[in-house]
Amino acid sequence: MNRIAIIDGIRTPFCRMGTEFKDIDARELGRIATRELLERTGIDVRQIDEVIFGNVSQPADTANIARVIALLSGIPETVPAYTVHRNCASGIEAAAQAAMKIQSGQGSCYIAGGTESMSNIPFYLSKELKEILTHLSRAKTFAQKLQALSQIKPAYLKPRAGLEMGLTDPVCGMIMGSTAETLAKEFGITREEQDAFALESHLRALRGKTFLREEIVPVIPPPAYKSAVEHDNGPREGQTIEALAKLKPYFDRRSGTVTVGNSSQVTDGAAALLITSEQKAKELNLKPLGFIRAYAFVGVEPHRMGIGPAHAIPQVLKKAGMKLKDIQAIEINEAFAAQVLACLKDLDSPAFAKEFSYEGFAGTIDPGILNVNGGAIALGHPVGTTGTRLIITMLKHMNRHNLNTGLVSLCVGGGQGAAVILER
Amino acid sequence: MSITYREDNNTGFIEFDQTDSKVNLLTAAALQELDKILDSLAPAGQRFLPQGASLPAGKSLPAGKSSLKAVVIVSKKKDIFIAGADIKEIEGITRSEEGLQKAKAGQDILNKLEDLAVPTIAVIDGAALGGGCELALACQYRLATFNEKTRIGLPEVNLGIFPAFGGTYRLPRLIGLPDGLNMILTGKSVDSSKALRLGLVDRLAPQNGLDHYLNTFIEDIRQGRIVPDKYARRKTKGLASILEGSLLGQWFIFQQSIQSVLKNTKGFYPAPLKAIAVIKKNFYLDRTKGLDVEAREFNELAATAVAKNLIHVFYLSEQYRKLNVEGITPKPVEKCGIIGAGVMGGGIAQLLSYANIWVRLKDINYEALALGVRSAAKLYRDAVKKRRMKPYEAAVKMDKITPTLDYSGFADTGIAIEAVVENMEVKRKVFRELSAAAGGQTILATNTSALSVTEMAGETKDPSKVIGLHFFNPVHKMPLVEIIMTAQTSKETLAGTLALVRRLGKTPIVVKDSCGFVVNRILLGYINEAGRLLEEGNSVVAIDKIMTDFGMPMGPFTLTDEVGLDVGSKVLHILEAGLGERFKPVEIFEKIYAQGFLGKKSGKGFYLHQPGHSGSVRGVQPNPAIQPGHPGSVRGAHPDQEEILRRMLYVMINEAARCLEEGIVDAPGAIDVGMIFGAGFPAFRGGLLRYADTLGVSAIVSELKRLEEKLQAQRFQPTTYLLKLQENGKRFYSV
Repeated sequence: MNRIAIIDGIRTPFCRMGTEFKDIDARELGRIATRELLERTGIDVRQIDEVIFGNVSQPADTANIARVIALLSGIPETVPAYTVHRNCASGIEAAAQAAMKIQSGQGSCYIAGGTESMSNIPFYLSKELKEILTHLSRAKTFAQKLQALSQIKPAYLKPRAGLEMGLTDPVCGMIMGSTAETLAKEFGITREEQDAFALESHLRALRGKTFLREEIVPVIPPPAYKSAVEHDNGPREGQTIEALAKLKPYFDRRSGTVTVGNSSQVTDGAAALLITSEQKAKELNLKPLGFIRAYAFVGVEPHRMGIGPAHAIPQVLKKAGMKLKDIQAIEINEAFAAQVLACLKDLDSPAFAKEFSYEGFAGTIDPGILNVNGGAIALGHPVGTTGTRLIITMLKHMNRHNLNTGLVSLCVGGGQGAAVILER
Repeated sequence: MSITYREDNNTGFIEFDQTDSKVNLLTAAALQELDKILDSLAPAGQRFLPQGASLPAGKSLPAGKSSLKAVVIVSKKKDIFIAGADIKEIEGITRSEEGLQKAKAGQDILNKLEDLAVPTIAVIDGAALGGGCELALACQYRLATFNEKTRIGLPEVNLGIFPAFGGTYRLPRLIGLPDGLNMILTGKSVDSSKALRLGLVDRLAPQNGLDHYLNTFIEDIRQGRIVPDKYARRKTKGLASILEGSLLGQWFIFQQSIQSVLKNTKGFYPAPLKAIAVIKKNFYLDRTKGLDVEAREFNELAATAVAKNLIHVFYLSEQYRKLNVEGITPKPVEKCGIIGAGVMGGGIAQLLSYANIWVRLKDINYEALALGVRSAAKLYRDAVKKRRMKPYEAAVKMDKITPTLDYSGFADTGIAIEAVVENMEVKRKVFRELSAAAGGQTILATNTSALSVTEMAGETKDPSKVIGLHFFNPVHKMPLVEIIMTAQTSKETLAGTLALVRRLGKTPIVVKDSCGFVVNRILLGYINEAGRLLEEGNSVVAIDKIMTDFGMPMGPFTLTDEVGLDVGSKVLHILEAGLGERFKPVEIFEKIYAQGFLGKKSGKGFYLHQPGHSGSVRGVQPNPAIQPGHPGSVRGAHPDQEEILRRMLYVMINEAARCLEEGIVDAPGAIDVGMIFGAGFPAFRGGLLRYADTLGVSAIVSELKRLEEKLQAQRFQPTTYLLKLQENGKRFYSV
């Protein structure tokens, strides 16, 4: 059978917003990962059929960022490229697109990745100020210019943060953290449970540092090029449960439980995969890390977006004809501790399985096989990149421990869930 | 026949198409042909009538002729308008008055062109340099193409002369005094878009469909849509116009130019200074008098030794810049591996990425890699700051460099360049690894400055792929590359390496593998001699000054401070081991080295380098801790200034002769190219061996003998090569 092979994957370190990578834009992060992938796999760039990148914040100065990354990475001008956006699952979407194109016989060799520079998400001018500035640019006489300028009121000067706008759902009006609060309240998930989960994420990420290093290309950040960043800078040495407990709830100050400590970090980073058909891999004498067995995307209520994986996981298992117990390792993206815990509770509930006809495809997930090297709470969540990162981390983990099956899943802002089953 | 005239649609076309040549040159013969055509046109020139006007009473057109719309000068060569005058003719000027006659003859013909009553248009699709540019300037209008090969300029100063077919008269009038002076004094040419901005051309047109755009242009001229004023196409605004428009402002511009020329040439090159003097006069004269000044001053310059030397250097540089292996067309290098991200490795990485070659930069840790990447980034940042590049261009090129700790990505490289520390054990290890990691097509090069390439090649599976590729520091600035061939290096390897060097815009010399190759071997003998002179009681400053007065860009001690005494001493030891006692570092070097005075890098060397004092070392205080030896403590000391200079130069000449004798290089030209472009030997002296030839071999031999006798020093013993030259009454360049 001609399966979808993932030959290799590479990513930059993940760095918290405003830290080492603050002067590297999304295309440059994507370029670093992609070029390194080309160098390490030794793939002849003329073999590549297309380049697909996921990116959420889509910088205004880099329209179709995938194309820009492709050209900056030395992929021939004759190879097309396009950018995909499925919010937090954009990286998964890129890989799914590659898989679909191979399955439909459109090509056999793809670069699929994700990139995000949350440090470089701009502030926006108010609509009023924008209009005044437009008038000003059209004004011919000094008097007209003065007239235009005189209309500016102090309130118009207040910028709007693009990051906050991007994280707010325009349909339910909630910022992502509030959707996590909703789940925490609905499932009765305590602050203590969430903080304990967050602490475990940090501890696992710190323990897994040398493992994670295997998927990382160190980056020497401009403009100073002082020294290389070789590791993710999110995991905190010496993180204690007490310190986490001290944090104030961020989204619901009075009665909330979701804090910045038990939420994912806002982060910069990029990742890239080389995806081919199984046959192409053989032709090119490339040894795949593993294969994509199945993938699924689902929709859920926007104000409960964090529950996405609870639906995506049973559905992808159904597609693959597998049971939850067949899966040897699982990654559920830690957008919020509350949201992951809510998914685990739902999956574990017979009532839930019954309601959605997931019987046999849901069940208990052993914490020992879940997010073994930590998750986004410690490592960070560069939204467009995380999906790609999860696939790489999972495949490397499976190879390291000689596992045959793995599953990665994410919740998606706007109310979706995504899941992919990987096998060797 | 190289120029033809035809008429088409009431437009006259003067077409340049030099027979048996890829280019058009404005030779004396071509000028004669042009003159004839112009003479035949002179009556026809009267045929031009503005639209709607009628012929003056009593005049009538020749039978069968109607009025001409324009006369257009075009070239039929690809990418060339007219590449310049014939340098051989300039080189041939020896008699006084000969230059004057040549200049006058050209001026008169171009005046004829300028005086045609018909609008004249130069269509520039390619290089319009020197005389070609002056011809275009004598036209009333200039139309250039978007062709990226289009370059317009007056490079005469590079040959020790200045434009003398009216260039100094017309250009400053056309594009303004500051830009006009700048183009003439630097000799730099401009591309078509810059030419349009300067007002040097009136319009740009695509190559494709040029005829159509030319017709539109002619029509626009007839309709008066283009300023008919011969000069001053460019309107200046604000301060610049006040400056250019007033006598005081002009005086100020001239002063500034003189100062900047003196700063760049230290007064060794008379041509730019003469050019300023000429423009300062003829800017205020009418055409006849102005051109007369130009021709007379040109006459003075053309026969000078400096001009001859610079023409010699021009020929050499053209010859070596284009070196290749006949019959082999190597595949262009797409990716290069570099091992060692130090000063040299980083510099080479930047140079390659600048030529759009992918670079895999390897070192053993990220601290080292960061240093290499940083130095490349700094060069790009400086280029952006100086507006030589746009920020996006720099970013795209910088992106071509990727750092790595392992050899991943080396298998498909076209060439791998080793630039690790000068330690044979380390280099052998690198070549062992490289031989395993690189692909069958990869050329394996070492950037060693003195070590045996053959020994490194011995570590590889295929020594025929191994070659030396010695860049000089700083890589982006130094034009020379020594290419070192071992006995096993294949022709294909040499061809590939030469092609790469050409693409990088560097000038190569090909050298046989031997200790120190050529440039370092000659240069270090000189530096060691400077050390001996220091031991004999001469001061650091005095010795340096003698050499800068001679024309070297810096004295031997300033140079040593730049390179680092540690490096200098290391290479001297290598040379001593390989070539003998004459290269044994003088004691005073060892003492200074032991005190940790390494030069710029340690803050103290022969001079004190204050932190933050970037750039030039000149004006820096000498290090008081370094005291000259005692005069008289060494036998035969007390040399006068002349003798100090001779000792340093003759040691070099003697060593260069030894290199020729040993067959390290095949021609004196290779040594001169090496010393000028690799060691800064003054170009106006024509190179080390050309300079030796002007002194005369006999004079050199007898002085060497005298020094050998006086100092009881074997290093001055004239080499067999020199003695043979003397015996046969030959010069270096007459062998």
